[in-house]
Amino acid sequence: MPPPAKSTGPTESNDLLQGTLDLLILKTLALEPMHGWGVAQRIQQTSKDVLQIGQGSLYPALHRLEYRGWIQSEWSSSENNRRAKFYSLTVAGRKQLTAELKQWDRMAAAIALVLGSAEAAS
Amino acid sequence: MNRLRTLFTRFLARRASLKELDEELRFHLEQSTQANIAAGMAPKQARRQAMIGFGGVEQAREATYRQRPGWLLETALQDARYALRGFRRNPAFTITVIATLVLAIGATTAVFSVVDRILFRSPYAHDDRIVSVGLSQSLEKQEFMLGGFFYEWRDNQKPFEAMAAESTGPHACVLAEAKPVQLNRIDAQAGLLPLLGISPVVGRNFLPEEDRPNGPSVAMITYGLWKNHYGLDAGILNRLVNIDGNPTRVIGVLPRDFEMPTLQAADVIMPLALLEAEKQRSQNSGIGQPMRVFARLKPGVSIAQARAQMEPLFLHTQQTFIPAEIRKDFHLSIRSLRDRQTGDVQLVAWVLLGSVLAVLLIACANVASLMMARGAARERELAVRSALGASRGRLIRQTLTEAFLLSMAGAALGLALAQGLLLIFVAMASTSIPFLDRAHLDLRIAGFTMLLALLSGAFFGLIPALQKPRAMALTARTTHSSRHAFLRRGMVVGQIAVSMILLSGAALLLRSFRKMETQNLGIQTRGVMTARISLQGVSTGPVAGVVSRNGQKQMELFLQAEAAVRRLPGIDAVGWSDSFPPGGGWQNATFYSDFAIEGKPRPAQREGGMVRFRGVTPDYFRALDIPIVRGRGFSEEERSSGEQFLVLSRLLASRLFPQEDPIGKRIGMGSDGTSFTVVGIAENVRNGGLSEQDMPEAYWLRRNVAADWGVPVPVMVFDTVLSPSAVAQWVRSQIEHLNPMVPVEIETLNERVSKLADRPRFETALLSFFALTGLAMAVIGLYGVTSFLATQRTQEIGVRMALGANRADILRLIVHEGARLLLLGAALGLAASLALTQLLKSLLFGIGPRDPVTLVAVALLLGLVALAATLIPARAAMRVDPVEALRC
Repeated sequence: MPPPAKSTGPTESNDLLQGTLDLLILKTLALEPMHGWGVAQRIQQTSKDVLQIGQGSLYPALHRLEYRGWIQSEWSSSENNRRAKFYSLTVAGRKQLTAELKQWDRMAAAIALVLGSAEAAS
Repeated sequence: MNRLRTLFTRFLARRASLKELDEELRFHLEQSTQANIAAGMAPKQARRQAMIGFGGVEQAREATYRQRPGWLLETALQDARYALRGFRRNPAFTITVIATLVLAIGATTAVFSVVDRILFRSPYAHDDRIVSVGLSQSLEKQEFMLGGFFYEWRDNQKPFEAMAAESTGPHACVLAEAKPVQLNRIDAQAGLLPLLGISPVVGRNFLPEEDRPNGPSVAMITYGLWKNHYGLDAGILNRLVNIDGNPTRVIGVLPRDFEMPTLQAADVIMPLALLEAEKQRSQNSGIGQPMRVFARLKPGVSIAQARAQMEPLFLHTQQTFIPAEIRKDFHLSIRSLRDRQTGDVQLVAWVLLGSVLAVLLIACANVASLMMARGAARERELAVRSALGASRGRLIRQTLTEAFLLSMAGAALGLALAQGLLLIFVAMASTSIPFLDRAHLDLRIAGFTMLLALLSGAFFGLIPALQKPRAMALTARTTHSSRHAFLRRGMVVGQIAVSMILLSGAALLLRSFRKMETQNLGIQTRGVMTARISLQGVSTGPVAGVVSRNGQKQMELFLQAEAAVRRLPGIDAVGWSDSFPPGGGWQNATFYSDFAIEGKPRPAQREGGMVRFRGVTPDYFRALDIPIVRGRGFSEEERSSGEQFLVLSRLLASRLFPQEDPIGKRIGMGSDGTSFTVVGIAENVRNGGLSEQDMPEAYWLRRNVAADWGVPVPVMVFDTVLSPSAVAQWVRSQIEHLNPMVPVEIETLNERVSKLADRPRFETALLSFFALTGLAMAVIGLYGVTSFLATQRTQEIGVRMALGANRADILRLIVHEGARLLLLGAALGLAASLALTQLLKSLLFGIGPRDPVTLVAVALLLGLVALAATLIPARAAMRVDPVEALRC
């Protein structure tokens, strides 16, 4: 039997909140189908190296989203002609993205309000 | 087939997805390496950096894999497989745990199923508020009511919401159809069912206008009759059936689990149709007809309060209706329905429940101890697994899976055992323990015991899993930890103490039962048979001596039957009696003060206790082989005499005539002073039941006049040298020939006596079974702990032997360990036994609850068996090779 791994890897402490990572992945895949490495690179680039996605959480997240039916995968050749697993958004995933974006906006606005008022009070 | 295919495809898919995942991760690494090369690193360095950046490949793989739906199930199956492999590797452990669980779950479930109805459950709504109300008297301890009292109590009482009456006993009645059948009928007031909170499943209850003298003839039938006789035909409602020659309308069917509050068997219930209050005064010498009354307390009124409130009413009616000279013998009695129904077996039920719970406790301790030992032995394994990356949660889950599997196996087999035990219980004592014939497996309690076993197994299995595995455990060669030894020792002491209590109780019951079985009954039971002939229309349940003796119909049939049986070959004496020793019952007793010797002052009313009073024919003494010690028995000629005759027992004769010869003396009996002549003195027989004090006894002669063949209804007795089953056939056919309608019940006297011993036998057998089970488990526990401690000290033993200790010293060392636990446990158990066996006092016969011989014997037995259990590991320790022991 494979010895079960400890759930707390070294990368996890720097992890984004799980929901946020899901949102980032969905958003990234909304542009075009991409393989896992591509997703990590794209997020890193767009965030100007602020968000570094640990592989320890990237692949579990990708697979989780796939099992939920929000993204689908397909093997095809990559830019350098290597076989790679490309993920793309499903219809359900697109809906989920819209919903999560709305949720995020509400959340961000709420947090901004709280922080703003706290500043005003002090 | 389809399922197999889906399983197979799922398996393939799983393999494929694992491979895909590997490839995906490899691709990621390659991309990183390439990116690093592109950034100007050397290929080797690039790959190294990519690996570092990636982190743990295996961890990522695992984490990804865990996202799969069904991952939990997969690991559970994995755990289960692993547990089963472990069980197979260690069959002694597995079998012991499962056997312990099976015994505990089986016995607890079976016993609880039996006592549940006696102690806890009830088919009536508001059962805690239903009481039996009435008078009690030295001849009849069960509450009864008289018509004269009833109306005054009902109309003036305050503590009850409702009161309702039923007839005193079932009457035989005949349902005349194509094939007539005899049924039992009880009459009840319309208010009885609502009071009990019961409504018919089909049809309705009696209407008030039906429950009146000369009302319309209606009846409710029981579910059993509806099912067996009418095949659940819904058309039974409003059908006219012929009961005892009267067309009677069936208006309702009672629920399946319905039972009369008196627990009497009834097939048909008809309106009681009580006479009005004034007319009651003309019944039964002015005191009114006898009946049983039940009432429902108002909410918040206790039984004691009700009794206090009813007392003035009782005193008033007592003065109105009961003659002054017997007044003080009547008491007001109000008891809960449960006490009325099961009062005499509640103690037995509690004793059984207590002992089976004790067994359960011992079993739980055993399971816990075994799991703990296993946990300690596996400390190293757990340390290895933890070092390989198993999370604490995973280890705990593994332990829980094991406990769960064991409990499940134990529960499944335990339920089977419980079912078997119930069958045995019913076969042993279906008539002497109420409700036993209807007992069925109680799944609630099976679930409860299972949960308990699961918890005790899991809890103690978890202790080692929860502790952070020590690094030591990986290196140490002797892995046994001594941390749980104290707890295990304590549990063993407890087990021994509890089994000591169980053994003492069982041994006391066993000795008492032996004494009861072997006692001299004063009669011959071998080859003696009885035949009860039931004739319809004769009440079989009179109350408090207020019975009329009319036996017109019966005498003819009974005398014909007697003559017919006399003609059969191989039958010697044929007699009649209303009951047989060693049994009795209040119907067959009278007061000592009723014997008024002519020419002497009459003894004071109700003094001198009770006298067994049986109406017999001359052959009774010959059939039962009761010697006549003085004078003679009754003669056949006296049966047609106009006079009345008595035979006294030796005990009664010595009390009535201390100095004189009683033969020929005349005794006036009862209130009318009918004169009886004493013709003989018979040897004493056991006549107060198997375990009660003997009573003085008098026999009156049943002459060939109708009045002598009424109540109490005589039962034929005869002795034979032939096989009882053959004779039973002949007798039955002879009586059927006379009247095919009457049911005949033929038993051997041995069967009757044995039936009286049913309940003690049941208690004794059960308690012995529990005690032995408990003993076995306690001994297993003791053995386990001793051998555990012995193994733990292997090294020490090696050192001791190397330093010159001989084998006897080692033996002493280990036995000493076990003996300490044993002594402590036995001492605690003995102390507890001395306190607890007091509870058994009323169940014991001819032996005190603190019988020293029994207690010493039990202690010796326990000591011997337990010592044997410690000797086995001690002998193993003795054989330890010091060289081997020191090396490890």
